Amino acid sequence: MNTRRDFVKTSLALGATLSLANVSGLFAADVTASTSPAAQAEPGPKPILVAVRDGDRATMLDKALAELGGIQAFVKPGQTVVIKPNIGWNAPPERAANTHPALVARLTALCLSAGAKSVSVFDNTCDQWQLTYENSGIEKAAKDAGATIINGKDQTLYREVDIPHGVKLKIAKVHSLVLDSDVFINVPVLKHHQATLMTGAMKNLMGIVWDRGIWHRTDLHQCIADLLTLRKPALNIIDAYHPMIRNGPRGVSVEDVVEMRTLLASTDIVAIDAAAAKLLGHAPATITHVKIAHEMKLGRMDLENIDVRRHKLA
Amino acid sequence: MPRHALKRARLVLALLFLIGLTLAFADFRSFVPASASHALASVQLVPALVGLSAGSLTALVIAAALALLTLLVGRVYCSVLCPLGILQDVIARLGGWLRRKKQFLPFAPPQSILRHAVLWGTVTAIIVGWSGIALALLDPYSNFGRIISTLVRPLLTAANNAVVGLANTLGFQGLYRVALPWAGLGVLLPVALFLTVVAILSVRRGRLYCNTLCPVGTALGLLSRFAIFRIGIDQTACTKCGDCLRSCKAQCINLRTGTIDASRCVACYNCIGACEDRGIGYRFTWKEKPAHANDRTGSTEPKTNLTAGDSPRRAFLASLVSGVAATSVALNHARAAVSSGDEATPALVRSGEASRALCPPGSGSVAQFLDRCTACHLCISACPTHVLQPAFLEYGVQGLLKPHLDYRSAYCLFECTRCGEVCPYHAIDLLDLATKSVTQIGVADFHQSRCIVELNGTDCAACSEHCPTKAVSTKPFRDNLRLPVLDQSLCIGCGACEYACPVKPVKAILVTGRSRHARAEKLVEKKAVAPTATGDFPF
Repeated sequence: MNTRRDFVKTSLALGATLSLANVSGLFAADVTASTSPAAQAEPGPKPILVAVRDGDRATMLDKALAELGGIQAFVKPGQTVVIKPNIGWNAPPERAANTHPALVARLTALCLSAGAKSVSVFDNTCDQWQLTYENSGIEKAAKDAGATIINGKDQTLYREVDIPHGVKLKIAKVHSLVLDSDVFINVPVLKHHQATLMTGAMKNLMGIVWDRGIWHRTDLHQCIADLLTLRKPALNIIDAYHPMIRNGPRGVSVEDVVEMRTLLASTDIVAIDAAAAKLLGHAPATITHVKIAHEMKLGRMDLENIDVRRHKLA
Repeated sequence: MPRHALKRARLVLALLFLIGLTLAFADFRSFVPASASHALASVQLVPALVGLSAGSLTALVIAAALALLTLLVGRVYCSVLCPLGILQDVIARLGGWLRRKKQFLPFAPPQSILRHAVLWGTVTAIIVGWSGIALALLDPYSNFGRIISTLVRPLLTAANNAVVGLANTLGFQGLYRVALPWAGLGVLLPVALFLTVVAILSVRRGRLYCNTLCPVGTALGLLSRFAIFRIGIDQTACTKCGDCLRSCKAQCINLRTGTIDASRCVACYNCIGACEDRGIGYRFTWKEKPAHANDRTGSTEPKTNLTAGDSPRRAFLASLVSGVAATSVALNHARAAVSSGDEATPALVRSGEASRALCPPGSGSVAQFLDRCTACHLCISACPTHVLQPAFLEYGVQGLLKPHLDYRSAYCLFECTRCGEVCPYHAIDLLDLATKSVTQIGVADFHQSRCIVELNGTDCAACSEHCPTKAVSTKPFRDNLRLPVLDQSLCIGCGACEYACPVKPVKAILVTGRSRHARAEKLVEKKAVAPTATGDFPF
């Protein structure tokens, strides 16, 4: 590159290539969007919600999955799996600001035992991502279990997609793992939240998009519900072993945590959040995004229309 | 001893220091342990002197050791420890390769007026309270740090990002993309300009920079002239072949008089290695008069220069006395600035008042920070969130290029003390985590009229979400909404709220820096009680 003209030419060519890459990304995303589960509640048998108490995390997960037909019901041999835990904050597991590493590790191992081709784990963290991955304990636990840890702060891994059924969220940059993986599993931790009162399964999916500021500016609850119209997780598992019940979602100390030794699992993301709200002492309809998602028929918050299966392990 | 041995040993040590410090400053993924960065930086002369003025015993030991080393064997510092010196050697060598013709630098008289003017100008600046900017501009170590941190680090990051895709495709997961850390033009230009000047000087004239513009070089030269062991020419062995001359990057060997200007010799030992007749080497020169570069040479050096003509010992004593005086005045000045507020604070940061530029926790006050920091950018390279950014005029002129917390790029991570771990100067003292987490470097202000919750009637609370101390929490507002509420006594000014606030163009929560850091309250709460009976399912 000898002259300014050369530089300009190269830059333009590069820019054009990049924008073309984006366009192809868009098309790919459209395919994903149109093939993903429809945004309507399906008629047929009631969705199942499993609630397990009083075991360790791995045991409760095994029990819940057995009730849902085993991990084989979700993961077929050769499929690619993405697991989305909550890895938001640079805090150790005992602060319960993130999904517990033991749960992520167990889930990874189960997916691999079902023949998954790969298991990827990521989050668009709030705190500095390397430290958060490390100090949450999730990086090591997931890697040891055989998962691949993916950078959630790499903007090039996100693709802009249309959200045709969104009320206010019409477009979003979504992590390509979520757009491209065969199986999408959502594993949040249950916590108090200063804005939304609760963060559970639906709110955890804010971590699959690049720019959350737009959501906060636009209408937080509506955007949370709107994103579900793009792709709902095949399976949701809520870690409510020791929920943070105040100062959430970051928390100040371990004093913010109470022991509940509970785990929830469901294919219905609204139902599981409704049950989670009750664990924190809220009527489901007071959590605005749960109410909106129910009204948009993205799932059911009326637990009387859900097949709730309760298990106490002790 | 083989004649090349000294040179080779020097070369190995020099490369180790150069590579070590380059890695520390170019580190874009926190590969280098903070302790290693800190150790490599702490043995530099200016950091040691600043540490000394801050009352550090370690710094005293290091400064004394460097002075003694120079008094013993000359300016070894300039060829082994000083990264800018070694970088110049590398650049000169690269330049030589490009030129493909061996360069010959003949003996040149010292630029004594210029080099002493720079040295004493620096000392004067320290005396009148401009130590911060004078050292920031002239300290060779800091200049080196800025070159690597602001120019090399982004390039290395870009190179990393370019190969990530390929590496991942090949199944190697160890690499990932990192945001490019380019600084603004106001920072890039001065650094690039300095590098250009130094590069041109080193390619054309070897170590001319070190022997004219570098105050550290000149100061060490005042000592090295009296070194107990000096490199000298053995007239009985010397055949005046000129090999030593050709290898000398300091242009300090005068073959006509058979003398070597020890004040400019940077102890690279190239000449010792070059001399096949073993006519040049270290000699015991205790009680020997320093040789004079321009004595009896008929050089063009004016007689008015500080070292020529009259007793060099007298010149040395004068230098020493004024040096000590300068240091003590500077010390008094620093103390005065610390004890009586912020008189030395630039206009932007008025005494006792709020300032918009925030200095890192552990730096005590903006005034003290600007006095001590010489803008080496080690903390900027080490900061894991990159909230530490080089300032342009945020602090005012005296804070040019010095790190400040920029909440547009990130926020100060609550559980992190890395800037204090690497800082060699006591510009940022290392705080333990408990102290850091209550160190108030600024205070947030909440502007409800700009808040999303007030304006749009929708939930947000991104500020409260991110607040690590819960200075920002929320309260019920209107119809099932939550409005941020701020308790300034708990605020440490970390900027998490400001960074997270989505309001444009002006955020609804803004941190104002404190010119003098204070102590925040700490939220202490009893163990939380479960909201529902925990024995059974509430559904």
